[in-house]
Amino acid sequence: MEKSIESIWKEGFINSKALVAPKVNDIYNKKSNHIIEKYEKMFLRNIWGIIIGASLLFIGSCFIGAVLAGGIILIMMLYVAYTAYDELQALKEIDKGRDSYTYLKSFKNWIDNSIERYGKMYRIAYPIFLLTFYFGFWFSDFLDGKRQEVAQNTSDMIFGLHIYSTVIVLFAAILMSVFSKAIHRRDVKAIYGKVMKKLDVALGEMEELRA
Amino acid sequence: MSSDFYTTSILPYAAIIIKICRAYTNTQEDFEDYYQEVCLQIWKSRKNFKGQSEWSTWVYRLSLNVSMTLLKKKKNNHLYFATDYLPKEANQEPLVFADESLDQLYNAIRQLSEIDRGVILLYLEEKSYQEIADIIGSNPNNIGVRIKRIKERLKKLLDGKVN
Repeated sequence: MEKSIESIWKEGFINSKALVAPKVNDIYNKKSNHIIEKYEKMFLRNIWGIIIGASLLFIGSCFIGAVLAGGIILIMMLYVAYTAYDELQALKEIDKGRDSYTYLKSFKNWIDNSIERYGKMYRIAYPIFLLTFYFGFWFSDFLDGKRQEVAQNTSDMIFGLHIYSTVIVLFAAILMSVFSKAIHRRDVKAIYGKVMKKLDVALGEMEELRA
Repeated sequence: MSSDFYTTSILPYAAIIIKICRAYTNTQEDFEDYYQEVCLQIWKSRKNFKGQSEWSTWVYRLSLNVSMTLLKKKKNNHLYFATDYLPKEANQEPLVFADESLDQLYNAIRQLSEIDRGVILLYLEEKSYQEIADIIGSNPNNIGVRIKRIKERLKKLLDGKVN
């Protein structure tokens, strides 16, 4: 006789093996691995983004006759990419055999140290980038006509540059240098904000679990 | 999560949590992930339990909600488990029950909609229509009609009349 679904259900679970509960202590290992793997992937993508972006900028600079500026920016960005790659290697060295909390804490420390190091590097890199871009673009073949037009219409010029515009750009470069850490922190938040939020939530939960 | 909380507040309901999680997953790895996530969510949400229903009712509701959410996320590719990064052969160990009839029944249940899976599981656990309605958020009359339809569909699925 055909069994009803009710009896299949009841009889099926008489076998206690069907109701063995899995261990519950593994979830954060999986979560922490996932968070860090995601961050690593984004970080690697970001490095490639820097290399490709700088290369395109260099090609563009060749077309507008600002090869020197394009070359300086390319070298600088390649250095930034190399530093990032170096950071990534350090991230990979975090011991995955540790418990999840220590693992995530190490990752968090790595992010903080990385922001600190980048902040220092960008203190020089940001202003160089801005100034090279400004001088390079201004003295490029592309703005030849514009340069002559400005020189004819105003006497506020120094070394071929418009004084007030240059002062503003210099001031902006100084500000970027002073606030390099804050700018970089904002950049990181914009790119990795979601992952970092997940990291904070996971760490918060784990701290509560440990309490 | 303290082991006390797990032992006193979750373990007595582990059987239903296991049954629910198995209905929403196809592999052993996924099942373990779902079970762990449900336990974690029970622990995290325990302060939201206001005592307006039985603790068991609340656990059932939460287990179903978490499982349905995880399934939706997984379907939309918004959910990744560590096992997703393993080679296919490594994490495709199917959920198989020793009892063949139960295995077939579970396979049929997995073909139902997310809500219907929850309804039939609670029905099979001998919950009253009122309790099922409370857990699902429906009314007892609708539950009765729905269970009748689900049972008919399950029967067809078990008889191999429906794909």
